[in-house]
Amino acid sequence: MSGGAEDDFGAFVAARATTLLRLAHLACGDRAEAEDLLQTALERTYRNWNKVRHDSPEPYVRRVIVNTAISRARRRAILRMIPVRVLPDTPARSDDVDLREVLMDALRALPPRQRAVVVLRYWEDLSEQQTAQVLGCAIGTVKSQCSRALVKLRAALGEESVEGVVGHGRA
Amino acid sequence: MAALEDRIRHLMAEETAGLHVPPDLGLRVMRSARRRRRRSVLAALATTVAVAGAAPFYLAAVAGSGPAPIVTETPPPPPAVDDLPPTGRPTQKDLGDLGDGKAFGHVKVGYLPEGLRWQNWSVDFGDSYSTGYDYKGDKHGFYCVQIYVFEDEAVLEVDDRISIHRQEGEGQEVVIGDRTGYMVVQNVGEDGMKGTPTLFLDMGERRRAEISFSPVYAKDLRTSEAVDRELRKIAEGLTSTD
Repeated sequence: MSGGAEDDFGAFVAARATTLLRLAHLACGDRAEAEDLLQTALERTYRNWNKVRHDSPEPYVRRVIVNTAISRARRRAILRMIPVRVLPDTPARSDDVDLREVLMDALRALPPRQRAVVVLRYWEDLSEQQTAQVLGCAIGTVKSQCSRALVKLRAALGEESVEGVVGHGRA
Repeated sequence: MAALEDRIRHLMAEETAGLHVPPDLGLRVMRSARRRRRRSVLAALATTVAVAGAAPFYLAAVAGSGPAPIVTETPPPPPAVDDLPPTGRPTQKDLGDLGDGKAFGHVKVGYLPEGLRWQNWSVDFGDSYSTGYDYKGDKHGFYCVQIYVFEDEAVLEVDDRISIHRQEGEGQEVVIGDRTGYMVVQNVGEDGMKGTPTLFLDMGERRRAEISFSPVYAKDLRTSEAVDRELRKIAEGLTSTD
């Protein structure tokens, strides 16, 4: 790889890696694994940099992160090692820290693809079509997975309006 | 905008606000990628030197995990390259005399399909090593089964390859006793055959095994069910010795 291309890669990492680390953290639910996910994705990006750099590299890295997170979660699920936690009957609402923990627990408890849909839709603000492209699935799948995920998150966070949530998820 | 969605966004933002990457991440990624590339280059060169233009699967698998240009530097393989024997590696480290070949490196082979014998060859790259089996125990014969073991840093490489197979939807997850694996038909050879049935076995955090059948041997087994069954049985019997 030429020095210029390496400089470009370094600049891309400097500019976007923190945002991508946050995506990885939400996608996998674990900080240490998020760092590993990001490094794996960036190494793969670096190897393909000459092809990727001329388009926007960020969607490529995002796709690798999300799909690797799903693959790893499925692999763990086979061994029943996924840290699925029982959601509290009465969600903790004392302050935002508690709610964050409840949200992260609820996210971890979602099936991997549902978690990815939520993160891509509400953290990355991707459209349903863009989310479907990242995940390699149909828009209808994104809608149904999102709807189911939101119902679970609503229950975890103690939201009142079920109808509103489901209605929006199907929009 | 639904209140729940705003709330999710808000909580996600708070959850991740404290996350920052180290300033030298880009350099670390580039260094790590170069390290892997160097290892792949060495493996590819070993292939080129050792087998005088042929690229048997046992080394092609390693080269295949590296950057694309390495592959193009390897001389084009002759027909049926997937089944060429690993021969003549004067500069290549090996695992020595393995006897019946059922214990090598840090693993033990508990099951081999009927009629197969150790082929009297092995390769040893330190954190990855391999050997093979055929009908006659002939190091110059076509391999039937090859087992490649990856340890420590080399695990990352094979995980990366498995991850790509997963993303491409090329194989399937399998459960082998209390372990997991990934079964896929790799297109390692360029002989126009159906590819190399392979089972990647997770043998713990720092060890993976890649069990492969040559296309010719897979054909001998007649059905994909038999291939699947024999791959799983070998995986079941493959255990760590340390």
